[in-house]
Amino acid sequence: MSESSTSTRQQYTPPPPELGPGQTSHTSITEKITSIVLTPHTPYQWFIVVLIGLMLVGLLQVSIAYLLYEGIGIWGLNVPVGWGFAIIHFVWWIGIGHAGTLISAILLLFRQKWRTSINRSAEAMTIFAVMCAGMFPLIHTGRPWLAAYWLFPYPNSMAVWPQFRSPLIWDVFAVSTYFTVSLVFWFLGMVPDLASFRDRAKHRVTRVIYGVLAMGWRGSAVHWERYEMTSLMLAGLATPLVLSVHSVISLDFSVSILPGWHTTIFPPYFVAGAIYAGFAMVLLLLIPIRRLYGLQDFITLRHLENMGKVMLTAGLIVAYGYFMEQFIAWYSASVYEGFMMQNRMFGDYGSFYWALILCNIAIPQFLWSKRVRRNTVWLMFISFVISVGMWLERFVIVITSLHADFMPSSWDMFYPTFWDWATYAGTIGFFLFAFFLFVRGMPVIAAHEIRTLLPFGKKEK
Amino acid sequence: MNEELIRQSEALAPQLDSSRKKAFVCGLLFAALTVVGYFIDHGQFFQSYLLAFIYWMSLSLGCLLLLMIHHLAGGRWGFAIRRILEAGTRTLALMLVLGVPILLGIHELYEWSHEDVVAADEILQKKAVFLNSTSFVIRYFVYFLVWFILAFLLNKWTAAQDATSETSPTRRMQILSGPGTVLFVLVTTFAAIDWIMSLEPHWFSTIYAAIYIIGQLLLTWAFAILVGVRLSRHLPLSALLTNERLRDLGTFMLAFVMLWAYTSFSQFIIIWSGNLPEEITWYYARLQGGWQHVGYLLVAFHFALPLVLLVSSRLKARIPILTAIAAGMMIMRLVDLFWITAPAFDKTGLTLHWMDLVIPIAMGGIWLSVFYGQLKKRSLVPLNDPRFDFAALADEVDAHG
Repeated sequence: MSESSTSTRQQYTPPPPELGPGQTSHTSITEKITSIVLTPHTPYQWFIVVLIGLMLVGLLQVSIAYLLYEGIGIWGLNVPVGWGFAIIHFVWWIGIGHAGTLISAILLLFRQKWRTSINRSAEAMTIFAVMCAGMFPLIHTGRPWLAAYWLFPYPNSMAVWPQFRSPLIWDVFAVSTYFTVSLVFWFLGMVPDLASFRDRAKHRVTRVIYGVLAMGWRGSAVHWERYEMTSLMLAGLATPLVLSVHSVISLDFSVSILPGWHTTIFPPYFVAGAIYAGFAMVLLLLIPIRRLYGLQDFITLRHLENMGKVMLTAGLIVAYGYFMEQFIAWYSASVYEGFMMQNRMFGDYGSFYWALILCNIAIPQFLWSKRVRRNTVWLMFISFVISVGMWLERFVIVITSLHADFMPSSWDMFYPTFWDWATYAGTIGFFLFAFFLFVRGMPVIAAHEIRTLLPFGKKEK
Repeated sequence: MNEELIRQSEALAPQLDSSRKKAFVCGLLFAALTVVGYFIDHGQFFQSYLLAFIYWMSLSLGCLLLLMIHHLAGGRWGFAIRRILEAGTRTLALMLVLGVPILLGIHELYEWSHEDVVAADEILQKKAVFLNSTSFVIRYFVYFLVWFILAFLLNKWTAAQDATSETSPTRRMQILSGPGTVLFVLVTTFAAIDWIMSLEPHWFSTIYAAIYIIGQLLLTWAFAILVGVRLSRHLPLSALLTNERLRDLGTFMLAFVMLWAYTSFSQFIIIWSGNLPEEITWYYARLQGGWQHVGYLLVAFHFALPLVLLVSSRLKARIPILTAIAAGMMIMRLVDLFWITAPAFDKTGLTLHWMDLVIPIAMGGIWLSVFYGQLKKRSLVPLNDPRFDFAALADEVDAHG
C-alpha cells in the first residue's frame, strides 16, 4: 500500500468494534455477566417492574376465571365481528417473538457478529411472547381443557378430524413447532453459561440448581464441537420458521374472501411486520436493562444503531404492503375492494387508520438519521410508537374488514369491554414478570459467545 | 498496488474483448432471424419480443438493485462482484432503445390499448386513467429516467473513487443507495404492472411485482456466479473470488430460490383457496392445456432441484456443480417468464414458437456484447474503497494457500 492510501484509511472511520472499551479479557466478561445473577443485591427498579407484572398477572387470572365461568360473551364480540381482541393480540404477540428468531438464526447464518450480545435476551423474549400469544387461541375456545380435542388431529372412534384445509389447523402446528425449536435453541445456548454459574456459585443450593441446568457441561473439546454443530443445525431449522409462522398466520386471514383480508401480499408483509414489531420490543426491553445493569460495553450504540436499521428496513417493507393494498384496491376496480379501502380510511374506524399510518410509516422515518439511531431516548420513543402502530395495524385489519362486510344489514360496531382490555394488560404483565425473572436468574448475555469477540478469540476468516 | 491491479485487469482485456465479439456476432445472426420472424408472424414477434425484453431487462435492473444493496450492507461478496454489477447497469441505455418496439407494438400486446375494447368493458373503463397508451409511454420514459439517474451516479462515483484516495465518493454511493433502493422498488413495481401484469388487464395481485423483483435478483446472482467463476481463474479476482466466496454467492442464490418459491406459492395458495372468478382466471389459463407441465417444470427445476443441490455446502463448493446450477437458473428464469407471459396471449394450449427462443438469444447476444465491452473498461477490482483493504484480503488468501 502506498502512503496516500494509508492516510485514506485514517480519514475513514471503520465501524466500531462489537465490544465496548471496558471489556478486555475473558475473566472480565464472565465476571460481569455472572455478577448480574450471582449476587444478593437486586436493584429496586427490578422489584417495581416485577411487582407491576405480578399485579397484572393477577388481573389476567381473574379475567380468565371469569371468562371460563361466563363464556366469551364478556368480550365485545358480536355477529359480524366474531374475531376481536383475541386474534389481534395473538398476532401481536407472535409477531413480537420473531425478532428473537431472526437475530439468533438468520444473523448467525449470515455471520453477523454483533448479534452475540443481544441474541440471548431476544430469544427469551420470543419464548415469553409466544406463551402470551398461545393463551389467546386457547382461552377464546371458552373451554381450554377441550382444546386438544378440537385442535389436534388424533385417531378417534368417531372418525372426526379437524379441517386440514384450514390455516387455523396449520397454525397449531406452526406455532407449536416454533415454540419447541425456540425453546430448545434458547436453552441449548445457555448451557455453557449455566456451567459458568455453577462453577462460580458460592451457595450450595445455587450450585445444585445451576448444576442440574448445566446438564453436566465440562467444556471439553468434544462438548464444544457437538455444541457448535447442534447450534448450526438448530439455526438452519429455525430460519424457515421465521418466514413460515407468520406466513401461516397471514393465511388465517388471506385464504378467506373478505376484502382487506384476501390479498396476495399478506404473507411477506406479515413477516416484515413481525420483524418490525419484534425489534421494537427488543429495543424497548434492552435499552432500560443495559442502563440498569451497566451493560453498555456489551450492548453498544452500534448494536442499537443496527437494530434501528433493521427496523427501518422492515418498516419500509410494511409501508410497501400498505401501498400495494391501496393501489391494487383501486386498480382491481372491484366494488368491494374499493368500499373496503374507503371504509378503512374514512369510515367509522378511520381515525385508527390514520393513527396507524402515523405510527408505522411517518414517525419511524426519523430512523434514516444516524443521530436518531444512536440516541437511546429517540429509539425508545420510536420503538414504543411502532409497538402501538403494529397493534393498530392488526386492529384495522381485523375489525374494519369484519364490521362492514358484504351485507349492510348485518353491519355493526365493535367496542372492546373491560375484560378485553384486562386480558391484554394481563398478558403484558405476564411478559414483563417472566422476562425480569429471566434477567435475574439466567445469563442475560451469551458470555461464551462474547468471549470470541476478543482480539485473540477471533477466528481466522 | 493499484497499478498492479489495473495492469492485471488490462491483461484480461483481450479475453473479454473476444467474448464481446462472439456475443455480438451471435446476437447479429439471431437478430437477422428475428427480422425474418417479424415479417412472417407479426403478432408472435411482439409476444416473443416482450419475453426477451423483460428477461434481459430484469438482469440490468437486478444488477442495479444488487449494487445498491451491496453499498448499504457491505460484505466482501459485493466487493468481489461489484464490477460485474456495475457493467450490468451500464446496459440500461441499450435496453431503453431495445424497448422501443414494445411501445410500437402496444396495440399488438395490450388489450386495454384498443379504444373499442375499453368502450365495451366497464372494468377497463375504470382503469383507463392508468392503463392508456399515452400514459404507458410516458411512464416508460419516467421509469428509465429514474433507473438512469441511479445507475449514472453510482457509476460516476465509483470511477471517481478509483481515481482518488478521498473517501467522499464511497460515502456518496452509500448515501444514495438507501433512498435509491426505495425509489427503485417503487418504480420497478409499476414497470412490472405496466409491462407484464396488464397483459391480462382484469387480473390483479398485490405480490406480483415483488415476485418479479425477486426474480431479477435471482437471475443476477446466477449471472454473477457464471461471470465470477470465469474471472476467478485469473488475477486480480482470483485473490478475491476464492472458492469459499463463490460458495457464498451460491448461498445467496439459494436464498433467492427460496424467496421466489415462497412468494410464488403465497400468491398461488391465496388465489387458489379464494377461488374468486376475477382472480382464478390467471391460474386457470396456466394450469391446463399443457401449460401445467411448464408449471411442474418450474416446481422441479426452478425450486426443488436447485434447493436440494444448494443446501449442501459440499456440493455447492464444487465449482462445476455451482456453475451448472447457475446456468440452469438462467434458463429457468426464462421459462418462468414464458409461463407468466405466453398464456396471456394464447388461451388454446401450450405452444412454443421458435421466436420465443430466437429473440431472447438475439437480445442476449447484444446485451452481453455491451456488458463485456463495459466490463473491460475498468479495473476488475474497485480501487481505493475504504471499506475493503484489497492488499490485506489478498495476503490472507495467500496465507491460507
